[in-house]
Amino acid sequence: MTDKYISKDGLNGLIASVKASGGRFVAPVLDTRQVVYKEVSSAEEIVDDYILPRNSYKEIAFPQTEILAKYELTRDGVTIDPVEIVARDTVVFGARPCEAASLASLNSVFTWDFIDETFTKRQEKVVVLSLGCVDADDECFCTTVNLSPASTEGSDVALYETENGYIVTPLTDKGTAFVSAHSDSFTDVAKGEEKKELVNPEKVEGVDLTKLGERLAKSPNYDNPEWAELTRKCCGCGACTYSCPTCHCFDIIDEGTAFEGERRKNWDACQFNHFTLHASGHNPRDTQYKRYRNRFMCKFHIYPTKFNSTGCVGCGRCIRVCPVRLDITDLMTAMSS
Amino acid sequence: MSNIYIPDLVTIEDIYEETPDIRSFRLVFKDEKLRESFEFKTGQFGLYSAFGLGESTFCIASSPTRKGYIQCTYRKTGRVTNALGELSIGDTMGFRGPYGNHFPIEEWKGKNIVFIAGGIALPPVRSVIWNILDRREDFGDVTIVYGAKTVEDLVYKEELKHWDERPDVKLIQTVDPGGETPEWQGEVGFVPTVLEEAKVPAENTIAVVCGPPIMIKFCLNALGTLGFSDDAVYTTLENKMKCGVGKCGRCNVGDIYICKEGPVYTATEIKAMFDDF
Amino acid sequence: MENELREKAKELLESGEVAVVIGYGFNRKKTRITPVFITKPEETDKLVFNELCVNNLSIYLTRKYRDIQKIGRPAIVAKGCDIKNIVVLITEGQTKREDIHILGVTCSGVVYKQELFKGELKPEIMPSKCHNCDVRNPHVADTVIGEKSDFTPPEEPTGMVFDKIKEIDAMSDSARWDFWNEHFNRCIKCYACRQLCSLCYCERCITEKNMPQWIETSAHPRGNLAWNLIRAMHLAGRCTFCGECERGCPVNIPLNLVNQKLVLTVKNAFGFESGIDENVHPPMIVFSEDDNENFIK
Repeated sequence: MTDKYISKDGLNGLIASVKASGGRFVAPVLDTRQVVYKEVSSAEEIVDDYILPRNSYKEIAFPQTEILAKYELTRDGVTIDPVEIVARDTVVFGARPCEAASLASLNSVFTWDFIDETFTKRQEKVVVLSLGCVDADDECFCTTVNLSPASTEGSDVALYETENGYIVTPLTDKGTAFVSAHSDSFTDVAKGEEKKELVNPEKVEGVDLTKLGERLAKSPNYDNPEWAELTRKCCGCGACTYSCPTCHCFDIIDEGTAFEGERRKNWDACQFNHFTLHASGHNPRDTQYKRYRNRFMCKFHIYPTKFNSTGCVGCGRCIRVCPVRLDITDLMTAMSS
Repeated sequence: MSNIYIPDLVTIEDIYEETPDIRSFRLVFKDEKLRESFEFKTGQFGLYSAFGLGESTFCIASSPTRKGYIQCTYRKTGRVTNALGELSIGDTMGFRGPYGNHFPIEEWKGKNIVFIAGGIALPPVRSVIWNILDRREDFGDVTIVYGAKTVEDLVYKEELKHWDERPDVKLIQTVDPGGETPEWQGEVGFVPTVLEEAKVPAENTIAVVCGPPIMIKFCLNALGTLGFSDDAVYTTLENKMKCGVGKCGRCNVGDIYICKEGPVYTATEIKAMFDDF
Repeated sequence: MENELREKAKELLESGEVAVVIGYGFNRKKTRITPVFITKPEETDKLVFNELCVNNLSIYLTRKYRDIQKIGRPAIVAKGCDIKNIVVLITEGQTKREDIHILGVTCSGVVYKQELFKGELKPEIMPSKCHNCDVRNPHVADTVIGEKSDFTPPEEPTGMVFDKIKEIDAMSDSARWDFWNEHFNRCIKCYACRQLCSLCYCERCITEKNMPQWIETSAHPRGNLAWNLIRAMHLAGRCTFCGECERGCPVNIPLNLVNQKLVLTVKNAFGFESGIDENVHPPMIVFSEDDNENFIK
């Protein structure tokens, strides 16, 4: 399919068309002084001056909390009713090219042997419209992990900003089908319509992903005291993992009364002390550096080698959100040597 | 099943009080078709639900050679196990599984087997023991070294008696110093020491070790002294798990997911692992 | 001032009086301030102090950070407001006065969030605590660094937090309920508020206790409300209004409103302000015959 065009005003038509077909249109909006992905009903709500929304749109396919089943305990016994997985057609407008790779990464975990349909059924219905970045901040480091504002991995449709609109390039079958289904909202690209220049964030000096991976793969480096020194300031909150587009850890818990309740799947974070705490009191990751090391291993060793996918997309959310400014790129540099 | 986290319902058919805080359940699936079709392998585990409180992970302690039911043994230590401790015969709970890998028992045919277990770690070994005793003629000598802190803490007391009486099984029981009673007939001493003193021949022998990390560590040393190669020594690990299917991100030791690639490992594999357990 | 700080830190490390200096330093790009732990005298030139030094470093004195305690006796760079937290830690038996060397720094205010700083510390990017600060000159310290400040706080507390509290107090119950639910509903249960609070030093937080499960851990409105209210209650009479919980909150929940409201409530009921005197115990942990009992009806 050839490139199409949509003006910023024309987005209203697209939103209406998506809604008319029963879908949701998710885009970056301003909420309580920060930019977040949220469902919108008009183009006016969408912000266009942003680096990255605070949240990752992974929550569309992997919500923070969801009910897996409802149970009831009566005199006659127990009943358990699985909750039907509701998957709605969802368009993510303005996703950044770096994080577009993330759903595929999550998919690699959620479909490893056993298939977690609570994720896959929703993921199938997500159409990602990524928007090339015309600005970057100090925390962006996609180029350091071999991605860039021009990356297309995980995007269904690539959008490139022009003076008054966007040039639309369908990339996947899903993307082509989306553009065709809402063809009234798009026009041909007018002559002279020019893409704004994409801005590459500076590459972090001294990071070598190959060396980094090799080093993490070796067991003797695991207990290197450097880990404790580099992560000493980590306060052990879950802000990084809950903002990260590829963090996949969760908890399964029961909530309710003695007679009825729900079994839920909730986000959880490997940064929490009780995450790996055994009932016996033993904790394999009993200090913060071990927990941070696990997160780092997950991104740069487990994801790439075990799941053959991108662990860190370089979006920089974990750096921006970190209340003690622990910078993952500092560890990447240190662990590359 | 479309949702992998939904358990099947099981009925508690029988309860055995092993020690003051350890219990075993004999469980049967409510669904009769499932009761027929359910299969598992020795060494696999499951997630057991106490509805309203959550799930907990234990191995399947019965042998696949005994069909129609599963048995599990647990210690009352946490939220879920305490709730399971309140259940009675006829009550319903949840089970999902079987998960994980298994002991390669078929490869052990014709060999001698030595079992080494400590405390609450006998249940995973029990599945192997019965699997082998139920087709006794396929295997060589069977030795069981089992120890606990005190006499009271020994689990499966009836079965221990049975194994002790069997001429084709050599059972060595031990309790930690100070844990013996006046009537105690077994050894007094820690499992690794008793194992070494028993001088189990290493030739053509497979060792199955299960127990707390510190016991495993010393038993591996003792087995080394006795001449066992690391490839002939098997153990089963445990870690906190929530999903059992390699998604929730808790049980990994370095890059190895215990729930999927484990819980059964050879000593060679254990020694190559990251120091994270 | 920074030179003075570095010299003193160097002296403390060289003499062996302390084994580690917990202070502020720049990140690699020199754009942001981050906590640093200096153990070698030759590294003390990494220490800085400026209007971006907003973190309350007293969290690193708590028992959650065993590896830092293992290094040895610490010196800590602390603003007056941070010292308030250290004082509470002392009154609650979490550390001893003689076990730490407080490098008190005089302060003329810091930013509300580092991202807001564009080269100049304007009043509108300072948190309310700075506008009403009564400890710009450190009140409990082993060494005071910097020039004496002659700032006097206004008679009546001023600033956004205090205006907003008045506004919320005037709301109807249902409007107030809606206000808080709207904010708490955004909570993602990352517990950054707890982890950044030096007074949340419990190794096993109530939200992690599950026999019984006191707080629902799901990030649904019920669980979020339970968590945020219980944390607030656990800080009543202890919170010093350092503002770290609100600063760290990734979803901008106005936690300062809750905490300052509690500070005011405790002040009215008991005439107590936490963090001022390390020899006075907080009202919630002592019995006094003079306690106001008019809440018993």
